[in-house]
Amino acid sequence: MPEKPLTELEELIGESRITVDGLVVERGKVREFVTAVRDENPVYRDADVAAEQGLDEVPAPPTFTQVARHPRYQPADFDDDGIQGFDLGFDEARTVHGEQEYEFERPALVGETLTGTTTLTDVSQREGSDGTMTFAVLTTEYRNDDGELLVTERKTAIET
Amino acid sequence: MNNEQTERLRASDVAVGDEGPTLVVENVDRVDFVKYAGASGDFNPLHVIEPYAKKADNPSVFGQGMLTAGYAAQMLTDWFGVGNLDRFKTRFTAKLWPGDTVTVTGEVVDTDESDGNMHVDTEFAARNQDDETLVTGDATAVLPTE
Repeated sequence: MPEKPLTELEELIGESRITVDGLVVERGKVREFVTAVRDENPVYRDADVAAEQGLDEVPAPPTFTQVARHPRYQPADFDDDGIQGFDLGFDEARTVHGEQEYEFERPALVGETLTGTTTLTDVSQREGSDGTMTFAVLTTEYRNDDGELLVTERKTAIET
Repeated sequence: MNNEQTERLRASDVAVGDEGPTLVVENVDRVDFVKYAGASGDFNPLHVIEPYAKKADNPSVFGQGMLTAGYAAQMLTDWFGVGNLDRFKTRFTAKLWPGDTVTVTGEVVDTDESDGNMHVDTEFAARNQDDETLVTGDATAVLPTE
């Protein structure tokens, strides 16, 4: 069970905060990320290949916003002890990543700068075979400097 | 992966039951976990520090779930093109261990053309060499019909 009771966590549902600030989609960072996931697709390395696919620049790969966990992309008041900036009182050693979902308006492109706003969208508890499981759903919307929504990310964390 | 295929994929080429490209990631190793930690900024010691992982009752370090999700995303973008991927969801079901070979496959389960574009619903899975499922998921791609 988390340190915080369910009623206290439920009161946090709907709360939003900026959790990603100044996430520049850099050419080199895209290359570093796709290399780490062994993705050799030239669209992530060559703007001409991207252009052939109708993209104005090299795109970020679908899971690129994972790089937001670097401190350089976090606002100064970011709560590093929590999950995506939310201290829910989950025990880190017993917390697993249950699901991850992405919705794309279009791919983020090299040269764009993203801001991420995270909302705690759900908290619930269920009895499992090993006791109470607590579920938290955190939804992050990534927008560029024009305020255009590019990616919505939904992460489900489970404390077992 | 044959990237030419993704550029040419059109709505008329897609039907329920079609299988996507098979993506094989051979012999995933500790260095892959270290590279992903460095690239993503997820420095959870369970993935990179062997004594810490063992103390938490694991036989060794294991891979970040999002690394496996990254392999799954690669299969989807090889299949449909990165600009055509509308959404995808992964559920994490088993851990990725050093030495694993991961195979990602997918299948078209539904299509819908009602709004003038072809919405292609797929289900996919990433499995290890023992046919254990690491990740399951579903995704939708939107393809132009012209």
